Amino acid sequence: MSALTAETAPYLEAFRARGGSGEPAWLAERRRVAAERFEELGFPTRRQEQWRFTNLAPLTRSAFPPRGVEGRMRIELAGEPPRGVWLGSVQEALRERPELLRAALDETEIAGAQAFALLNAALFDDGYILALEPGIELEHPVEIVHRGEGGGSFHPRSAILLGERSSATVVETFQGSGTSWTNWVSTARLAANAHLRHVMMQESGPEAIQIGLARAALASGAHYENFVLTLGARLSRIDIHAAIEGEGARCGLGGATLLRDSQEATIATLVDHAAPGGETREIFKSVVDGRAHGVFLGKIAVRPGADKTDANQVSRNLLLSPRAAVDTKPELEILADDVKCSHGATVGDLDANALFYLRARGIDEGAARALLIEAFAADAIDGALPAGPIRDRLRDRLSAWLEQRGS
Amino acid sequence: MYLLEINNLHARVGDGREILKGIDLKVAPGEVHAIMGPNGSGKSTLAGVLAGKPGYEVTEGQVLYEGRDLLALAPDERARAGIFLAFQYPVEIPGVNNMYFLRAALNAVRRERGENELDAGQFLKAVRAKLKLLDIGEDLLQRAVNVGFSGGEKKRNEIFQMAMLEPRLAILDETDSGLDIDALRVVSNGVNRLRDPQRAIVLITHYQRLLDYVVPDRVHVLGDGKIVQSGDKSLAVELEKRGYGHLGSAA
Repeated sequence: MSALTAETAPYLEAFRARGGSGEPAWLAERRRVAAERFEELGFPTRRQEQWRFTNLAPLTRSAFPPRGVEGRMRIELAGEPPRGVWLGSVQEALRERPELLRAALDETEIAGAQAFALLNAALFDDGYILALEPGIELEHPVEIVHRGEGGGSFHPRSAILLGERSSATVVETFQGSGTSWTNWVSTARLAANAHLRHVMMQESGPEAIQIGLARAALASGAHYENFVLTLGARLSRIDIHAAIEGEGARCGLGGATLLRDSQEATIATLVDHAAPGGETREIFKSVVDGRAHGVFLGKIAVRPGADKTDANQVSRNLLLSPRAAVDTKPELEILADDVKCSHGATVGDLDANALFYLRARGIDEGAARALLIEAFAADAIDGALPAGPIRDRLRDRLSAWLEQRGS
Repeated sequence: MYLLEINNLHARVGDGREILKGIDLKVAPGEVHAIMGPNGSGKSTLAGVLAGKPGYEVTEGQVLYEGRDLLALAPDERARAGIFLAFQYPVEIPGVNNMYFLRAALNAVRRERGENELDAGQFLKAVRAKLKLLDIGEDLLQRAVNVGFSGGEKKRNEIFQMAMLEPRLAILDETDSGLDIDALRVVSNGVNRLRDPQRAIVLITHYQRLLDYVVPDRVHVLGDGKIVQSGDKSLAVELEKRGYGHLGSAA
């Protein structure tokens, strides 16, 4: 048995053993095709450019038998969902609104071949769906909490479907303990002039593995904002793919990644400008301590005809220990005219002059360093989110991380 | 007893060049000393060595502050012991709120002195009283440390910090450089109000201008890493007339 087969075998066996009774034929067929394609592809390897820097060893060393996600996810919204809003689990959607689930399943990913997303497509059995009718503005954020406990793997699949001019904020938290692997996929579809703010907080336990893919499709004038705070997990990788499909759509991606010990974390973004007049803003910051390894891959593609695209990407990384490492790889592929695209990447230590200035005022070295680290990471949070309770929560998590560092 | 006693201080920079070549200086509480000298004479190096700035190596001599070995202390320990350096180029620190920073600094100093830490309300009260002295708007405190400050605002912010921290020994490194006459007057008033029988001030400056406003007890001229001449305030006036040229050759 080849290494490749050995890695995929437990998951394919689980797929074959899966009952799936009572599911509609279209869904069963879709799962079958996805499983087949996953079997062909196998796990990603470091020979693939997009996976070159990510060390998947903790995931490939042992098997994580799939387990149901039922009861491991909580959906919260202050008050009852208003008229024109559907919010519930995938299982509920399958019973009540199967067309929502169907709309959420993106067929292009089968051809697009993201192996873990295919595995998710074959195995998912829960997740959440939020659908807003045109013109609906959700006042309170939708809160989703995922908890992967114990061992095994979980494959939640979610979708956010926003009608024209509708707007929503979704705060999704990934928690959990033990050595579980969470392999999630989330799809967002924004109709014309819709607005989505999607905030993800990854704070799993130190042995957990988190792999995620967030996809967003933006119609004309739509505005998609995604922010990822990465704190937990032994191995994590989040891919964010945004497709600018309509004219004048805007995409804001941001993230703060804080790593220590031997944590391994990758953020990989792809913004595909297929329509003119689109705008992309990306600010990603990482703070890497101990023997941890952070990766940022940021691709911005501007297709022929996507004229007047305005895109800017920043990746700033702070190394706090001699054994910490960061790989950052910006990539621009511009095939249109009259575009403004720029990127900047830095990897470095704390500013020695700033450190001395703080110490020269009586602040001890530990506190001065903590102040500068906090300022560095907070800049990404404050730049992405307006003042308010969500920003405060992220800032609190950041402070807590720094306090742990001091102790 | 002297507050600061520098004996035969030699120091070099990272590339091995010797900048200070035997400084001797004694400063008593209540005194204001001016250290003047041409560019490259070692003025800022002296300030940096006293404050504990990284990048300098002391190769010979000693510095006593309140009778103890100053050079054995870390920069933050020196600050908490009552030494304050007003920076020639105050550092911009994006993301660190000026008010938050100053409260952290003040409480670190107060803890060291065995005084209670100030809560946000008490701190604000203390701040408002000193802000007026230096003609600083409260909005400056809400901004990040020195970020987007004009040259004059940065220098005023330094003296404001000094007023808040109430050091025993203040070293002002070219605080007058880059100030217009109005700003110079405001800064000088701020410094004069901090003159105190218990406190010593060392003014490092290239020009005599500042000394019209803050009148020193002693003036020293630094040339090529040594004090080549000392005198009272009339020495500064003489230097203004005759320049540093003749001293350089005499040294």
